[in-house]
Amino acid sequence: MITIMYSLLLVPLFSAILIFLIPNSRKETFRPIGIAFSLITLTQCVYLLFGEYAKTEFTILSTFKWIQSYGINLHFGLSGMSTLLLLLSSLLVFVSLLSIGNDHSESKGFVGSLLMLHFAINGVFISGDLISLFIFFEALLIPMYFLMGIWGGENRRYATIKFILYTVFGSVFIFIGTVYTAVLSFGVNGRLAVDFDTLSSLSLLESQSKTLFLLFTFGFLIKVPIFPLHTWLPDAHVEAPTAGSIMLAGVLLKVGAYGILRVSIPFFTEGFLAYKNLIAILSVIGIIYGAIVAIAQIDIKKLIAYSSVSHMGFVMLGISAGGFLSIEGAIIQMINHGITAGALFMLVGFIYERRHTRKISDFGGVKITMPRYAAIFLFTSFASIGLPGLNGFVGEFMILMGSFNSYKILTSFAAFGVVLAAIYMLWAYQRMFTGPIKYEENENLSDLNSRETASIAPLVLLMLFIGIYPNYIESFVIQEASFLSDTIALFKDLK
Amino acid sequence: MTTVSEILGINYIVIAPTLALLLTVIVLLFCTITISTPMYVKKYVSFVGILVTLFTIFLKFGLFLTDGVSSYFTEKILLDEFALVGNVLVGMVLLFTFNSFWKTSELIEDKTTEALILILMSASGFLLMIDAENFIMLFIGLEIGSISLYALAGLNRGDQLSNEAALKYFLLGSLASCIFVYGIALIYVSLSIIGVYETSIAISFIGPDNVPLTTFVGLILIIVGLLFKVAAAPFQAWAPDVYQGSPTGYVGYMATVAKVSSFIVLARLVAVSLTFIIDQFDLFFGAVVILSVLAGALFAANQSDLKRLIAYSGVIQSGFILSGISSGVYGISASTFYLITYIIQLIGIFTVFSIISGQLSSDFQISNISGLFKENKFITITFSIFMLGLAGLPLTSGFVSKFILITNLWSYERYILVTVLMLTTVAGFYFYLRPIWVAAVEKTENVVEKIQVKNSDKLLLGVLAALTIYFGLLPDTLVNITRWMVEGYL
Repeated sequence: MITIMYSLLLVPLFSAILIFLIPNSRKETFRPIGIAFSLITLTQCVYLLFGEYAKTEFTILSTFKWIQSYGINLHFGLSGMSTLLLLLSSLLVFVSLLSIGNDHSESKGFVGSLLMLHFAINGVFISGDLISLFIFFEALLIPMYFLMGIWGGENRRYATIKFILYTVFGSVFIFIGTVYTAVLSFGVNGRLAVDFDTLSSLSLLESQSKTLFLLFTFGFLIKVPIFPLHTWLPDAHVEAPTAGSIMLAGVLLKVGAYGILRVSIPFFTEGFLAYKNLIAILSVIGIIYGAIVAIAQIDIKKLIAYSSVSHMGFVMLGISAGGFLSIEGAIIQMINHGITAGALFMLVGFIYERRHTRKISDFGGVKITMPRYAAIFLFTSFASIGLPGLNGFVGEFMILMGSFNSYKILTSFAAFGVVLAAIYMLWAYQRMFTGPIKYEENENLSDLNSRETASIAPLVLLMLFIGIYPNYIESFVIQEASFLSDTIALFKDLK
Repeated sequence: MTTVSEILGINYIVIAPTLALLLTVIVLLFCTITISTPMYVKKYVSFVGILVTLFTIFLKFGLFLTDGVSSYFTEKILLDEFALVGNVLVGMVLLFTFNSFWKTSELIEDKTTEALILILMSASGFLLMIDAENFIMLFIGLEIGSISLYALAGLNRGDQLSNEAALKYFLLGSLASCIFVYGIALIYVSLSIIGVYETSIAISFIGPDNVPLTTFVGLILIIVGLLFKVAAAPFQAWAPDVYQGSPTGYVGYMATVAKVSSFIVLARLVAVSLTFIIDQFDLFFGAVVILSVLAGALFAANQSDLKRLIAYSGVIQSGFILSGISSGVYGISASTFYLITYIIQLIGIFTVFSIISGQLSSDFQISNISGLFKENKFITITFSIFMLGLAGLPLTSGFVSKFILITNLWSYERYILVTVLMLTTVAGFYFYLRPIWVAAVEKTENVVEKIQVKNSDKLLLGVLAALTIYFGLLPDTLVNITRWMVEGYL
């Protein structure tokens, strides 16, 4: 199991280096090599699903001595939530490599950066201590910087710098939190130990717990993003290339929520209890605000970006409610949103490659020329809205049900998010796909080819599978969700 | 039976590195004046001189193993951990910058030997300064080193900027020297001593609370003299102009050697002389640190000249290093780690600049590297690694050094300093990523054409970039070395 865990880091790194070493004259090989290596990682992740750590809480499996005189070691481990997120990221890297057009797939920088991004994301999800978590959290930025900066849209410079500065600003707080925790841990253990095992045995004062919770959570919430801190997201999504958007919406946003579930809540629970109401209010504002702004968008990519703000609001509402059901729902919603938003961005990418516009009003009646595309788009929209029987419903339903006990009024407002989602998604669908063809450019659009269909198919199948049989995905997170909700309940009782 | 030389503490191994450099200088002079020798002989002679210097530094390690911390030449020369680390660092700087300063000197045809002699002389001066126990020796070393650097800045006579740089460096540098000497004088007036160890003994004798004001002022003036050399704000004004005007091939050497030796001396001063009264300097150091990082970040954000950008970034980095030096013994070790990783990146960056713009050029606009990546992949990648290292991105040595430093500061409860330093880091991402954007990301028509990079340059850049990554992934060895340096001063 340790070998597989390390190879999740090393295989993407190795494949990225390999791609950089291949001469540019063999540019047709970049995509097959990338796909082959991401398939290896994907297979390993599937294997992890059946391994012994797939349904457990976080278990540190391996320790790597880093700076011995300070007693700092790097730890790596696995858990149910990590396994699911690793699987999600590997799947999304695989499908985005498959889906990108030739101008991207024949650029070694693009494929290489995507694989480097994969490396850093995998690192985040197997990190067993604050330092390695921070290292990979920051390392995410560089491949994203190149993906957005080189292959982005018109206004990419502004968007890239905004994205980088927002994230770095947030990570400064995580960094200070890490340093603070390390110094506190030094007082108890005599070394700067910040692995998750040591942290859970660290008894903090209430004021320390509050400060640390604020430091870590602020950094992670920027990444989620929560309502007032979300402004980098629409810019980043609009300017990023398709594969960048898929990874951004699919996995990078989850890194924030993952950090809160992994670090902020279990170790700084008192702080969580003090600030959870604030987070819940902000998330509900985010749900409604994101949905309303999405309705007003004329750019389909920006619409999906704002819908991400709304959907991630559900995740944060579930987390802040802190019950078993709601936390479980939040984790499942993270996975679901990764699949659906990834699929939506991929679909937008397909039509952008054909028409080089993303304005909703430039389309109309596309269903006639691209029937298969329209069907998949509608299906994915339904999943995103949360139609029963598809994956979006599972997470959102669990979150709403789980949160209702704690926040009756807030949850009632949040439920409107689902209705608003139906408005913006279906209205956009109606304007883009139904009716007569308005512009003659749309008359000769070719439907999805087999490569494109193959790249969207796994995501569509997963939407259906999770929607019909949510028990399967739930079984991986039961242990972790109950651990988190028990911790919260324990601290609540102590008060 | 004790001989006279033992009583006087005469031991030539202690000053062997300095002597080796001076000997090389004499041989070079001989080569030029008496018999005319071809260029490659001079290159050979100076390179062998540097290698011999490195060898003699290792001899000093042997001496240290038998003698321990001790002083020689009637307590004028000191052999301790700081001296050893400083010597090695100056030797490494000479070795790593040899390639660029040799090529620069080769281009200044009628002054090749002159330039080499200046460089080796300045290195010998800085070595003497690192070794000095006596403040007078310290001053002599500093002056030998600095005066050579002033001349080096203006060596390209035809270039107006170079002349300007030399004059500015000289005027402000001499002012700093005056301040330094005045500080020594004040200490001598108040305590009748001029030694690094004597100061701490005298202070412990009269009690930390009874230290006369003149001593304080004297110590602060000495520190200011050193802070001038490392370009910490508010003494940073010379740095951008000097970096910009001096021949690019020399800046890497000029910037690093002065920083290394001044910081090592400063660290020893803090660890030894100020050890009983360091609390009373907290405010002074804190103010300098905050001023440095803020001034550096504010000015760096808007530079269009990359050499000026690096100069202002140097002001920030000086602030970071200083923050560690002023916070405890482990702070000094963290600062030394920071210093070592920083000079590796700095030498790398100036090597890249001199490859791109030619050794003799003075100003280096950001447009000089637009579209660099297209034809010059290796240079761009190494350059990006150095810049990301300066920014402190994880997986590079810059992150480890910042992490150790900040952890130490936090354990000393310097929360304000930590906040300011970390906010500067965010700003840093803005201006450190900008050159990378221009070089690799931005689409542009007029790209830099393919530059023929010599194998020696490739090797050098490869080694420096590999070290930057290596110390980011496996910093253990270097951390242990810097911890060893300060262990005796706990």
